[in-house]
Amino acid sequence: MKNSLLMKVLSLLVVASFALSACGTPATEAPATEAVVTEAPATEAVVTEAPAAEDVEIRWRTRPDNQEEIDVYSQISTELDAEIDGVTLTYEPGGSEGANYQDQLRAEVAAGTAPDVFWIPGTDVADFATRGLILNAADVAAATDGFNVDDFYAGPMDHLTFNPETSTSGAGSGALWGLPRDVSTFALYLNMDLINEAGAPDPRELAANGEWDWDAFLDVAQKTRALGSDVYGYGASAWWGPYGVWLNASGGGFFNEDRTACALNTEESLAGLDFQRSLYQDFDIATPYGEDAEPPFRAGKVAMFQNGRWATPGIRTVDFEWDVVELPAGPSGTAGNWLFWGAYVINANTEHPEEAWKLVQALTTAQTQGKISALGANIPSRVSQEALDAFLTFSPPANNQAFLNGIAADANPTAEGPLWAGSWPEFDQIMGPAIQGVLTGATTVEDFGATICDEADKVFTN
Amino acid sequence: MAVPSQIDSQTNLILRLYVFWRILFALLAIFGALAPWLGYFPVDSTWLKGGLTLALSVAAIFSGVGAVQISRLHHSGRMISLILDYLSFVVCTVVVLNTGEIFLGIDALAETFTSGLPFLGIAIAGYFLGSLDEYFPQKEQTSESSLKIVGQWVMLTGFILFLWRVGAVNGIFYFFGKLAQPLGIISVFGALIFGFAIWGMTQQKIAYALHAKNSDEQIINGWLFLSPNLLGFLVFFAGPLLLSFYFSFTDSDAFNTPNWVGFDNYARILNIRFAWLTAPDQLAREVVDIKIYDEVGRFLIGNGGILFAAADKFFWLALRNTLTFVLFAVPLSVIPALVLSNILNSKLPGMKFYRAIYFMPSIAAVVGISLVWQWLYNATIGYINYFVTVGIGFWNNLFNLAVVDPKIQWVSDEKTALLAVVIIAAWQTMGFNTVLFLAGLQNIPRELYEAATVDGAGAWDKFWRITLPMLAPTTFYVVSTTTIQAMQVFEQVFILMNPPEGPNNSTITLVLYLYRNGFQNFQQGYASAIAWVLFIVIFGLTLVQFQRQRRSSIYEG
Repeated sequence: MKNSLLMKVLSLLVVASFALSACGTPATEAPATEAVVTEAPATEAVVTEAPAAEDVEIRWRTRPDNQEEIDVYSQISTELDAEIDGVTLTYEPGGSEGANYQDQLRAEVAAGTAPDVFWIPGTDVADFATRGLILNAADVAAATDGFNVDDFYAGPMDHLTFNPETSTSGAGSGALWGLPRDVSTFALYLNMDLINEAGAPDPRELAANGEWDWDAFLDVAQKTRALGSDVYGYGASAWWGPYGVWLNASGGGFFNEDRTACALNTEESLAGLDFQRSLYQDFDIATPYGEDAEPPFRAGKVAMFQNGRWATPGIRTVDFEWDVVELPAGPSGTAGNWLFWGAYVINANTEHPEEAWKLVQALTTAQTQGKISALGANIPSRVSQEALDAFLTFSPPANNQAFLNGIAADANPTAEGPLWAGSWPEFDQIMGPAIQGVLTGATTVEDFGATICDEADKVFTN
Repeated sequence: MAVPSQIDSQTNLILRLYVFWRILFALLAIFGALAPWLGYFPVDSTWLKGGLTLALSVAAIFSGVGAVQISRLHHSGRMISLILDYLSFVVCTVVVLNTGEIFLGIDALAETFTSGLPFLGIAIAGYFLGSLDEYFPQKEQTSESSLKIVGQWVMLTGFILFLWRVGAVNGIFYFFGKLAQPLGIISVFGALIFGFAIWGMTQQKIAYALHAKNSDEQIINGWLFLSPNLLGFLVFFAGPLLLSFYFSFTDSDAFNTPNWVGFDNYARILNIRFAWLTAPDQLAREVVDIKIYDEVGRFLIGNGGILFAAADKFFWLALRNTLTFVLFAVPLSVIPALVLSNILNSKLPGMKFYRAIYFMPSIAAVVGISLVWQWLYNATIGYINYFVTVGIGFWNNLFNLAVVDPKIQWVSDEKTALLAVVIIAAWQTMGFNTVLFLAGLQNIPRELYEAATVDGAGAWDKFWRITLPMLAPTTFYVVSTTTIQAMQVFEQVFILMNPPEGPNNSTITLVLYLYRNGFQNFQQGYASAIAWVLFIVIFGLTLVQFQRQRRSSIYEG
């Protein structure tokens, strides 16, 4: 009897332990990370109000690519918590093995449990804004001393200040959907060992001499491809970014100028696509389209690997000599590069919009962006010489300037962006497999051009 | 249970109190049903408001009926009372737990649990210490040994330290602190009241008075044991199922109030056209209204043909791919499993090891498996192509042949992309099916084989005339579940392919397409309609399998 009583008590304790310890407040200890960036002054006054009597809790989230980024964002959250009066910050990495970042975020937005501030890709801004899921911060921004939309790259800000009611952009549009966390662009990661072995010209020197164009690119690719049946001149991933640059560089693009209709069937777009197709089908210099090109590049089997700045941390582990060079110029005279970006936006249902806005500002200061950039995966979104100077010091690669050249104004990069007059996910869903059909040789460019816009134009509302 | 000849005054008083309680419950439920509409209780969603009103109105009606039946000493009054009080008790308990933030605090437990593990280890050590008692016979069998007592106290100490370390003490204060608000207090009070009401109604005197029979008690106990699963099914499965059925008739984007669109979603799915082609390469826009329809495929006949177009071509492509996948994946998951199970059923040494090996893919995470296969399939540095190249080189050298290395682009060629997914799915499912077949094989009486041996039957005859027929119920189960599983293929495609739809949409499947619509294209309503069409397709296929199986006399016995 006594034994039975004791066992009952123990069983109850076990159950109670699971239940009651679940009630305890989590101990959020920020991991210790070293300060990794040069001190750059904040350009805006982030903290302007007197401390509130009681702190309000602000939850924020951004998509990290690895544990290192989670650590840095956690550290930044702790620091900003101390800097911003009246606010207690909680950083949530978001995403897990079972749910990707966007799916989890959308589910939480639908359930009303999303954080006060969160990051979304540039292509999602219209979908979130037109459904009233994110706050238009134009009014609170207008009341902020020192805030200027022109402090950021114009491409992202055109989209982030787009007012769908008036179809205007800019500081006076009456719309501000968020601020860009960072920007990025494509470059070609070079395996210099392969290029030297093949006796091909150094793309970096060609670029410096203004001779880095499609012909020069093809020449290097063919010479390196000749090294062996398992060595490739070029490799890229299978999504809209890599194939889009070839269309842009030939003067074409996905959409017409005001992004209200499909332009995949224009002569320029088809010419760009045809050149890219020839890399895979005619010249056979590229890793098969649709296969992940990063593993063979890291295995030393690809001479030129097209990817963004986000690939740098992974590439730093390879054991061959490598560097980067900007994309080759196409017939239009530019490389047709993208300006990739994502934005910190404010949950439309936040109870503390002003504090959330303070956080968004604080997360996009040159100082904060510098700390993130030090990891090597991002370029600051603020047009700040201090931030860019700091970025150039984060090597390898030695030729960091190639990334900055890609987003420079004279390179005329096309800003990634949403479709305010249609559905970007649906457009991508039509375009992606169709282009893959062309690049794998299953569809001709002519057949593609004859039908693609018949399908793709359906996703536009007008 | 005997029926009492008369009811004592105390029982009579309790029964009157129950009548009063049921009337009070009904009045409170009516008030609760009206409160959201009168502004006493803020509920944002009209649908939630309507659902709440409906549920409470039904509860009020039943409570009123219960009051009448209890006053008539009818047993149905007791049943109604028990059901209503039990459901109310569950609701109050859930509200208590939620108000105390138990559900949100799971992460906190995850963070602190590890730090308490050493103390949990002490508790486990105490258990083993106590169990050592069995190995040391006692002189006095009536008293507990000191070893056992010491073990129990070590366990107790370990648990107390564990609770302290994982933050249970803080948890208690936090939990009660959170409950100290009107909702928390009301729900605790409610849980106590409803719990007391249930306890009272299960007392023997009350049961006698309300003419309870033994069978009634058995029914109550049965439903009570079933209730956790049943409530979970209703709330987490049947509820969302019905909700998705409703959404399929709306333009829901999951965020804003949906608008009723009737059968528009289903009409869009089923809106198809067939048109004659006068030339094989005639463009679709020349024969169908291209503003509505897209080409799904064309069947060429001579110098012409038939064009198949649909308002939603992706649905039809997904249906085609899904059925193709089922056609290949199911036989490849079932037939090798049947063969394997017969091999593994033999009494050769090491068979248990091989059974475990074949079962392992079934318990491994699909995401991990798909990522490994992605590497294996890589056309440039993947092991599969490497071995193909080595093998061809070997045969070419050996026989002086000139066989060309095909360098198969497993996942990037539309001809092989779906096959790559089929191989993974078959490989992963085969082990589980093998185990099912093994269980079936071990249920076949050995006497049948012995009799067949006596009759001179060979191995093949035994397999064909005994094993296969006797395995028919298992085979039916395996084929049915594998087909249902194959119709829902998603993870392998989503992880393996880039983009998941594959080249020229060669790997787009129905579940992938509904995921795209629901979670990426902001079309939850349309995704729900696709889900219901998928349900109908799966239901239809399963029904056909059932009907075919029923024709078999073996399954019916």
